Amino acid sequence: MIVEIIDVIISGMINGSVYALMAVGLTLIYGVSKAFNFAYGSFYSMGGYLAWLILSAAFINSYLVVFILAVPMLLILGFLIEKMLVAPLRKRDDWEIKVMMITLGLALFLDNSYQVVFGARMKSLPSILEGSYSVGEFIISYQDIVIFILSIGGILILRWFLNSTRTGMSVRAVAQNPAGAQIVGIPKEFVFSATFAISTVMVGVGGILLAQKYFVTPTGGWDILVKSWVITAFGGMGSIRGSLYAAFILGMLEAFVGWYYGMNWVLIALFAVLLATLAIRPQGLMGKWG
Amino acid sequence: MDLKRNLLLLTIIYGIIGILPLFFGSTQFIMHILIICLIWSVVASCWDLIMGFAGIFSFGQVAFFVIGSYASAIISAKFSVPPIFSVFLAGIVAGALGILVGLPCLKLKGAYIALVTFAVHMILEPILKGDIGRAIGTGGSRGILTIEPMNIFGYTFSSSQLVPYFYLMFILAIICSLIILMVIKSHWGNAFLALKDAEVFATCLGVSAFKYKLMVFALTSFLTGLIGGFYAHYVGMISTRMLGTDLFVTLMIMLVIGGIGKFPGAIIGSFITISINEMLSPLGSYRPIILGAMVIILVLMMPDGIIGLIQKIFPGRNREEARTIS
Amino acid sequence: MIEIKNLNAYYDDFHVLKDISMTIEQGQVVVMLGPNGHGKSTFLKSICGLVRKTSGLIKYNGQSITGMGAEKLVNMGITYIAENRELFPEMTVLENLKLGAYSKNARAHSRQNLERVFSLFPRLRERTSQLASTMSGGEARMLAIARGLMSNAKFLAIDEPSLGLQPNLRDEVARIIKEINRQGITVLVVEQNIPQITELAHKLYVLEEGRITFEGSKEQALGNDHLKEIFLGM
Repeated sequence: MIVEIIDVIISGMINGSVYALMAVGLTLIYGVSKAFNFAYGSFYSMGGYLAWLILSAAFINSYLVVFILAVPMLLILGFLIEKMLVAPLRKRDDWEIKVMMITLGLALFLDNSYQVVFGARMKSLPSILEGSYSVGEFIISYQDIVIFILSIGGILILRWFLNSTRTGMSVRAVAQNPAGAQIVGIPKEFVFSATFAISTVMVGVGGILLAQKYFVTPTGGWDILVKSWVITAFGGMGSIRGSLYAAFILGMLEAFVGWYYGMNWVLIALFAVLLATLAIRPQGLMGKWG
Repeated sequence: MDLKRNLLLLTIIYGIIGILPLFFGSTQFIMHILIICLIWSVVASCWDLIMGFAGIFSFGQVAFFVIGSYASAIISAKFSVPPIFSVFLAGIVAGALGILVGLPCLKLKGAYIALVTFAVHMILEPILKGDIGRAIGTGGSRGILTIEPMNIFGYTFSSSQLVPYFYLMFILAIICSLIILMVIKSHWGNAFLALKDAEVFATCLGVSAFKYKLMVFALTSFLTGLIGGFYAHYVGMISTRMLGTDLFVTLMIMLVIGGIGKFPGAIIGSFITISINEMLSPLGSYRPIILGAMVIILVLMMPDGIIGLIQKIFPGRNREEARTIS
Repeated sequence: MIEIKNLNAYYDDFHVLKDISMTIEQGQVVVMLGPNGHGKSTFLKSICGLVRKTSGLIKYNGQSITGMGAEKLVNMGITYIAENRELFPEMTVLENLKLGAYSKNARAHSRQNLERVFSLFPRLRERTSQLASTMSGGEARMLAIARGLMSNAKFLAIDEPSLGLQPNLRDEVARIIKEINRQGITVLVVEQNIPQITELAHKLYVLEEGRITFEGSKEQALGNDHLKEIFLGM
């Protein structure tokens, strides 16, 4: 029993860390540009498929190569998608709803393209690191440890980027005061595209990390979209710190509910917690109202 | 558009639809598609009312449709209520759930509403398939396979004779359209326009955003649920497959083609969309890819939809008035 | 230095500025007066590339800058300082200043500009790590001006610096504008609550209902009874 509970806690921590990476990406675009991306989950699947493609090439079988190739690809893809699909809509009064619709269309397009290109059957990826570490009865796999370290590492890199680089500071500036950002000469359009690109990388990397544990499927991203979204809303949309806490809290909740009641109940439980939170604190855990 | 132009357009649209059975009455396949078009035209119009006019980013429309269809199927089977009444009860169930969902979320900002309503859609499938669902009679992942056909005063609408079914749905669609038009042109509609333009100002004038949003949310959930119930009795079997992204996006294409917030547009949009969808069906798994690409291209190229185009070609009185005011 | 011909500006369909022409020479302090809501801010923003819909001609050092966005103009040395300050609330004083030097041209001089700003506003030096949102109105105003200076501007458009300022800080603002101008920066300022600033003016303009209704030196302005009464309060 104790061992089982520890296992559940560990699994909650591991999933929580990857969720944190992905939810922070989602909250970042929302905080900076107020745009909502329905295709976020499809980029998660894309990360998984990219990893699968790269690893199935006969001469490569290292995750290092996967990251070296996939990260720039996701970055460029995210940037181009923002420039081509989202940016032209910004001039309109009703751009928010139009952005939701166009990204929903993109999600359908991508998901069904995966289905045609890769087939409906799920793909499995090899573990990033074999073996495990055991103390007495309980065992923790190296894979889990690496996933945890990489997710946290990703979040720390983002933190460094936002606090210490010029582009990162301009991203924060646009999020805090778009008018002020324009006054000091920050090109808003570039910041929007860059933020979108970064968030694409974050969720794509999340896909690479989690695909080892949960397979890659054409429509697997929807679950991730909703979970990331629930996490950001629970933590307060636009608040990075809020998303971090929320990801671990909800990751843990998911692990326990899944273990005790079954995976069918996970989304229902997440949703119930979200509704209760929003009823008491409409701005989420750490969000600002207005 | 003013009321007269709207009514004229509705008359033209329904006039054309109304005489279609004269030509296709004997072709079962086309009659079936026309009925489906009518069904979705109501759902799309309801969604348009919520999103386009009320400015609520709701993504739960399909969910309320599915709730309505399950509710009517279960109510008519379990309590042997005639379908004509169970359909209304289903509307009430959907409307009540709409209020339940709306109460906590309609005070929130746009993206939160989108999340909560979309989450309703997402969790509906595990609920219907799971233990709770099976307990109320959803049939789990198998769905409900035998649903009593619609009958009124002893007359049973049969699936071999689709023309009466068509006209039943036709009348229902006209009633729903008139209700929606009434809402748009009434005090509610004006309140929403005011809220969209300047929420703070409108709130100061005593327009309670929350109250109106909740009312419109309940109304559209009711209508959508009612049509969902009708759909269940018409097709005779339902399952959670309706909750896939396919239907959801098809519904959205109807809005995009018709033009968001341009009321009778959604009706035209649904006929065009369903027709395109049928024409694409030989393409098999490429069809949804094309649908997705269509959404992207249409949103970029034709952001105001068909009605937007019509308005551009025939700028009515309203447009000129708007110009002189500004 | 700045030459404006028949400038028109619009917000949506609202015609805010109507055929404005103006010439500002290098090293001048130009003061613009006029009732609130008649387009003074829009005018400053139009010059600085912050209004989307404009027509007419704006020249800067002989080169046409009509229709250019702020991200280009700031780099060329044209900077706007907003009446409502538009600081980055969740950032420290130092971060706000660093972002003031965002443009390429400013970055090259950011070290010396930081020194200059700190010598003009010694109080900011003590508060480099304070969050902008926790500053008082007066301090925030100083930070806004300081952030504008960090852009290495040659031309500053300052919008109502007295807004939300305690009266005793007004002298301070006047002193700073005088000092900035002495350092060679051309200043266009919208301000009517600080007589000392009017004193500095090489030229005065009055903007009413989107049009220039008076243009002249301060002596001429003082001779104009209508103006004296309404705007100068002297």
